[in-house]
Amino acid sequence: MNEKLLMETVALAGKIMLASGAEVYRVEETMRYMLQKSSYPVAEAVALGTGLFVTLDDPERDTLTIARRVPARSNNLNRICAVNEVSRKFCSNQLTVEDAYQELKDIEADKLYTKRWKFLGLIGVSVFFAPIFGGGPLDMFGACIVGLTLALADLLINKVKLNDFFVNAFCSFVIAISATIVRKFLLPAASADVMIISSIMSLVPGVAFTTSIRDILNGDYASGSARMLEAIVVALAIAAGVGLGLVSWGVFWRWLT
Amino acid sequence: MMFQVVSAVLSVYFFTMLLEIPKRYALYCSIVGGVNWWVYLLAIENSASSMAAAFFASLAVAILSQIFARTQKTPVNVFLVAGILPTVPGGGIYRCVYYFIRNNPNQSSYYLLQTLKTAGAIAMAIFITDSLFRVVQYYQNRKASIG
Repeated sequence: MNEKLLMETVALAGKIMLASGAEVYRVEETMRYMLQKSSYPVAEAVALGTGLFVTLDDPERDTLTIARRVPARSNNLNRICAVNEVSRKFCSNQLTVEDAYQELKDIEADKLYTKRWKFLGLIGVSVFFAPIFGGGPLDMFGACIVGLTLALADLLINKVKLNDFFVNAFCSFVIAISATIVRKFLLPAASADVMIISSIMSLVPGVAFTTSIRDILNGDYASGSARMLEAIVVALAIAAGVGLGLVSWGVFWRWLT
Repeated sequence: MMFQVVSAVLSVYFFTMLLEIPKRYALYCSIVGGVNWWVYLLAIENSASSMAAAFFASLAVAILSQIFARTQKTPVNVFLVAGILPTVPGGGIYRCVYYFIRNNPNQSSYYLLQTLKTAGAIAMAIFITDSLFRVVQYYQNRKASIG
């Protein structure tokens, strides 16, 4: 068995999973299972919130170690499922190392939903969360418009690579402004509250939050607290964006009239 | 009530596009989301507090996700993450900030507390189910190794 390639494959699998928002214990478990294929007696895989290490050790040979940094994380459950599938096949000898490596490379480049689907998704989420927060058909229509501006803002901001905080703050700023405008000029009977809340739902860090709880309860305190902090930062960004939007609209309107 | 449950199903369906959940699981995720909101409303109707309702709803979601994960041979997170979305305290965060700006610290801290309580209830429910299914798995493995 080509141990070097095995290491590369394992590190790649771990990196994809970590970058897609998988729980740390799942990442470590997957890497450890795949490492059992090697001829080395000691195989260790360690994943932290922001990076991972893989090492193979043998008293008679040189130690092999790979470290990978995972700076950016997003939510991509499709990739987690796909890597899971590859490792399952690899461990049951249905795939060679070379094939597994190639498949992982393909997974890394793969995108399941195009930009158009994302656009539609943002609008759909805004519309259908409105009834959950007590809105009627009118609020749903308003939320549709707000969702549209959110989707446009999302397209715009993703052209430039910026940090999470700013992206979320900007999107929720746009939501707050457009919701107040829609209520003021278009649908005076609709509730600005409902429109804003249902639109910010697509930004709320639900994934980071759930994953961090499961990490912490599994004893992975370092990565769990890192993710929890991530969730808090995003929540603060949303709060700051909405707050700034409401305040600046209020000031602007008073200055105008 | 039915209208709300249907819209919870649809909203989770649209959310699967944002989370890049494979299309073959999107329907399952939507069902989990619908069950979540149905249980929540049922609990509220029977005079549960919003925290208790969030707990029961998340419990239902977590159990259903574990079952789906086993039948579909997929990570639990796929169903769990999408399913809990209707109870995630997004409204609480917003109202907390809103009243903070409006110079109403009482209302603001009330909603902050509500948000933390709901988040805690969700966390508890997920934790309990995780542990429960680990026990089940332990006994299944033991049975398999003995038998």
